Amino acid sequence: MEKSSEKSNWRNGTFYLNPYLGGMFLGLVLLATFYITGRGLGASGAVKNTVVTAVHTIAPRHTENSHYYNKFISTDTQPMNNWLVFEVLGVLAGALLSGILYGRLNFKTEHSPKITTKKRLIFAFSGGILFGIGSQLARGCTSGAALSGMAVLSAAGFITMMAIFGTAYIFAYVFRKNWI
Amino acid sequence: MTGPLIPMGYIPEAWNNVIAVLLGAGFGFTLEASGFSSSRKIMGTFYGYDFVVLRVFFTAAITALVGLMYFDYLGWADFSMMYVLPTYLTAAIVGGIIMGMGFAMGGYCPGTSFCAIAIGKIDALVFTTGLLIGIFAFSEAFPLVEKIYESGNLGSIKVSDSLGISDGVFTFILIIVALGMFFGATLVERKVKKVEY
Amino acid sequence: MNKQYLLLSAILILAGIGLMLTPKKSAVKELNPEQLLLAVDDPSRFLSTDLITERIIKKDPSLLLIDVRPAEQYKVFSLQGAVNIPLSLLFSEEAKTLLGQEGKEKVFFSNDDILADQAWQICKRIKMNDIFVMKGGVNFWFNTIMKDNPPNVTDDSKAQDLYTFRKAARQYFMGNTNQSQGNSSESEGKKEGVNVVKKTTSKSSGGGC
Repeated sequence: MEKSSEKSNWRNGTFYLNPYLGGMFLGLVLLATFYITGRGLGASGAVKNTVVTAVHTIAPRHTENSHYYNKFISTDTQPMNNWLVFEVLGVLAGALLSGILYGRLNFKTEHSPKITTKKRLIFAFSGGILFGIGSQLARGCTSGAALSGMAVLSAAGFITMMAIFGTAYIFAYVFRKNWI
Repeated sequence: MTGPLIPMGYIPEAWNNVIAVLLGAGFGFTLEASGFSSSRKIMGTFYGYDFVVLRVFFTAAITALVGLMYFDYLGWADFSMMYVLPTYLTAAIVGGIIMGMGFAMGGYCPGTSFCAIAIGKIDALVFTTGLLIGIFAFSEAFPLVEKIYESGNLGSIKVSDSLGISDGVFTFILIIVALGMFFGATLVERKVKKVEY
Repeated sequence: MNKQYLLLSAILILAGIGLMLTPKKSAVKELNPEQLLLAVDDPSRFLSTDLITERIIKKDPSLLLIDVRPAEQYKVFSLQGAVNIPLSLLFSEEAKTLLGQEGKEKVFFSNDDILADQAWQICKRIKMNDIFVMKGGVNFWFNTIMKDNPPNVTDDSKAQDLYTFRKAARQYFMGNTNQSQGNSSESEGKKEGVNVVKKTTSKSSGGGC
């Protein structure tokens, strides 16, 4: 009796790992990534690579002339660029697995009851654009620059982390109605 | 075998992508299982009702850092071979500020938005679409921002070197600061009204 | 629960103290011997004198020619635009600034390529990037570019093209010399060097390195 109720409890979507345990797992994954590949995890890099590849396929001359794109076009094999794309495919698979395991799979838009779904989506979209621009400027996002950077004591990692969290705290007040 | 394994040539390149998927899966699973697929849970850190991001993020960074340093000490991995993100001071700060704004508005960062997509969050899908457009816009408008992008180049410096202390001392201070934050976060959580999400 | 957290915190703090007590590794980043061997084994660091000549004439801004011979030899003659960093001064502050320039391809050269290759290996060992060696050195450069060795009539067109290129290059350097004759004493010194190059050649046979 007791066991079955417990079981249904951790599969109903409300169970989360203890944050310290989760953090330790994440740290071990990051450690393994550094041990095997010599660099950290990333997320925005995969999107960047997708954009570069897409634009390069459509307008190769444009990318070759651009100072930014041509940094990332691989004339020969640059495995580390593709690497991130495969890593993100893994992220999707891993998250899906966890979602199935803990019963969190369903289509929905999560937002505070104080705002409409439409407003939430507009803000998510704008936030995405800003994150896209910022991650390119800082050469990485929260995973690639801040987390992986901190793990190897990169000064850029700590600076980016403080800038992200510091600004987010300030703007959290501005946008508090969206969340609480 | 001294790591990093792939740059040292211990693992044939054909395995690269398989390893990428496996490591990514570990990354994604842990993020999702810790609750990073919910933007309202993530944002709890900024309103004081749920500090999961702070806890997971700093625990992960410290675990990896301490692990790497012991690996280096024991000769299992060469710390100096690890890729250290070069520091472009201005670009890092400006980029971080823009990302911070995006974080407060969107509630995700790129990694967590992928996790949220995987379990069916529509707002995450919209966020990632924005991300794609943002990166495209940046790449197209690069000549306008090239100066900021290249400014303040300090090379691949380590934070401990720029502070003039040893890696070990810095890591120790970081551990103490993080433990202090964890303790403080627990206190704040007790006082702040719980938010249902 | 609290007790567990206290225990974990204690373990983490101990780990941190452990890290503080571990001896600091030398701050200088060096290639390990295996990597150095791989790098030395790779001939791609050698650039041909023709390629260098072409880049000198085109005034390639990314090219940084570094003469590693002693200063006296540099004063007598050196390649156009080259800076002098005698091997013994490779770690001086001036040399560090010169070699630390990003986006420049640093090409070492000496009378032959032994001294230059030594400089290259030292720099490679401290993980310097974009460094090269001019194959054959100044002597080979002089013999191929500045001396007239017409190809046989029977040689293929490639050899003919190369000869035309070298001839044009020679005119470029000679012409340059004549033009700058009256301009500055510095370039005059170099120009005179061109005439005295024979001397350099004999020196190198005595073992410039």
